[in-house]
Amino acid sequence: MTIRNVHDCGQRHRPRVACLKKVEALVLEMQDPTSGVKSQTQRLVITTIPHALTGEDVVAWIAKRFNVDAAEGCAIGTMMVAFGYIYPLRDHKRLILKSDASLYRFQTPYFWPAQQWPVEDTDYAIYLAKRNIRKNGVLELHEQEQYNNLHKWLNHKWDFIVMQAKEQYRAGKERKKPDRVVFDCQERAYWVVHRPPPGSVSAMDLGLLRLIDPNQEESETSDYFRRIIIFTEQCIMRPRVKSSVSLGANPWLTDDPAYWDLNSLTIDNPTRMRVERWTFSFGELLSDPRGRDGFRLFLKKEFSSENLAFWEACEAVKWGTASTIHEKAQQIYKTFLARGAPRWINIDGKTMEVTVRGLKHPHRYVLDAAQTHIYMLMKKDKYGRYLKSPVYMDYQRRATDPEAHNFTETQLAQNAKNRRPSLSPIILRQQEEEQQAKLEASGPVDLTQVMSKLDKRNMLKEGQK
Amino acid sequence: MGKEECKTMLDALNKVTACYRHLVIALGSTSDSQNLREELKKTRKKAQELAVANRTKLTTLLKDKSISKDDRVEYERLWVLFSSSMELLEVDMKRSLELGQDFPLKVPTRHLIQTGMTGATTTVAARAMSVQNMKYDADANIDTADLKDLETEIVQVGQMREEMEMKVQVAPWAVEAKQEAGAELKSTVSVGNSSVGVISICEEEPKDGEEGESGIMKIFAGIIFAVVLLIAGILGYLVINLS
Repeated sequence: MTIRNVHDCGQRHRPRVACLKKVEALVLEMQDPTSGVKSQTQRLVITTIPHALTGEDVVAWIAKRFNVDAAEGCAIGTMMVAFGYIYPLRDHKRLILKSDASLYRFQTPYFWPAQQWPVEDTDYAIYLAKRNIRKNGVLELHEQEQYNNLHKWLNHKWDFIVMQAKEQYRAGKERKKPDRVVFDCQERAYWVVHRPPPGSVSAMDLGLLRLIDPNQEESETSDYFRRIIIFTEQCIMRPRVKSSVSLGANPWLTDDPAYWDLNSLTIDNPTRMRVERWTFSFGELLSDPRGRDGFRLFLKKEFSSENLAFWEACEAVKWGTASTIHEKAQQIYKTFLARGAPRWINIDGKTMEVTVRGLKHPHRYVLDAAQTHIYMLMKKDKYGRYLKSPVYMDYQRRATDPEAHNFTETQLAQNAKNRRPSLSPIILRQQEEEQQAKLEASGPVDLTQVMSKLDKRNMLKEGQK
Repeated sequence: MGKEECKTMLDALNKVTACYRHLVIALGSTSDSQNLREELKKTRKKAQELAVANRTKLTTLLKDKSISKDDRVEYERLWVLFSSSMELLEVDMKRSLELGQDFPLKVPTRHLIQTGMTGATTTVAARAMSVQNMKYDADANIDTADLKDLETEIVQVGQMREEMEMKVQVAPWAVEAKQEAGAELKSTVSVGNSSVGVISICEEEPKDGEEGESGIMKIFAGIIFAVVLLIAGILGYLVINLS
């Protein structure tokens, strides 16, 4: 029994898939022996298999049928290949239509992408088991990973999967050799479309779910027109400013991770756009961790870093877990608010009174008043000075300007092969926490400590005298 | 014993499900024909008979409160096997209805998809029905006439599955499989007949590696070569000694 997701929510009605019915009609037209696409035979070592098409024939047929130019015909053909109605016989992982003599073949209707037949993991597991048998245990890397994953998650059905895979393998052997070859190609092509290997773009990324069936004919009532009017009004209202600033190579198109590296949290030289963003408002500066680092450096020079530290500690209380609020609030009181505290912050008497009273029964927003006071203090006084300071000028000078990409075709293919997942968020969080601990351990430079050290040194000197 | 009977019946159902899937895949392609539709009908009927038999057997076994715990675990595993088979069968039946409706055989203006498969599926159907040769004795318009029967059968199978889920309290996710990963490789090494590594699929498989059966042939060839070298060495030594 497969545990089915009860909330179907119109799973079947997806944005781009309304075109499937039209593509199917087109495929049927292509089959006509007189007016359809010319077919040839494919010659393998011993067998010959009929019904192979060349890319250029398909493109020419589409161009003639729709009265478009060859480039457009190629694009339509690539769409058909990407959906899985036609599959390439060579280079089966790249689902594009090449308008040369490379061979393609039609996919059997059972394997057509149809809206109402979801692609089941059980079927994929059976396919991988069959492939395991055929390849004698040597699966490709992504197939092996999927196999292990499915073995873990479909473990209760695994006996069935193994039995069914063996039976399907033996039943397949009953057919003649050319048909066996074709069947293997068909199945492989189906799974390349629906479980794409890493580094390939899938046409089956269907996006958000829709609640209505795009193929259904809608009656033109007043409600229908009212909705169209609202939709077009909203479209007009949207801002249409297009930016021509270069953000570097688009990582989704070129598979180049440079964009992520340039915009990471721990980079030394942030991009120009990021540095400029800090001038928009104080809130922008504080919300970017890199901006906060720069500001912290500036405040250290001015000996008022306790303000930012207090603000960050208050944020930690607000966003942290409820069980740690009490502890954190006490820590903050001891470090920042108590009389004679090591990093005493300068807030007025009334706010201090309110805060201390609230700390008797601390809750998430107990330090809100003090935090707002410090925030306004920093904004009115320090922020303006920061933007004119040498620290910020230095950032502006060192800011990088990312260029648009100029990768060649081969480089793009290489990038696609080298795609790897980035660091897990768990590891990133651990690194963040380590950095914070280092920051705290390196000790704050605050006046009271420095003064007390100076005092001690003076006393020692006097003592020595 | 009840278990052995159950297992043989489940194996039979499994075989018929696999063959039925192969037949449904051929629908709508150039290997579609009246014969295929008849084969589908016969295979389907056989599958239903087996399903009903399996169901009665398993429900009686599971309803029996006096079986031991190990037995119960085993029967639950068999039950999961049975229900997964039935699920596949139901989906395939629904798809064959849809494809049968979309690709009627008698309409001359509607063409079958040129998939490259041109052979008949007789052998697959024969395997499903466990006979040597298939006999075809249906009328010429089986493709349309059969569809109504198919609809009723799909409804029946759906009802049977619902009944099964209601009446038998088995938690399918609690079943542990006996086979570990890669178990399918163990008993199929002997199944290679004509693919001795010469013929490759779609002309790019040679890069991926040869068929598994040729691995054994390679070792064999290596041994023969070594023996020949040895004999040649001995002969040469004797020749040098004699001269």
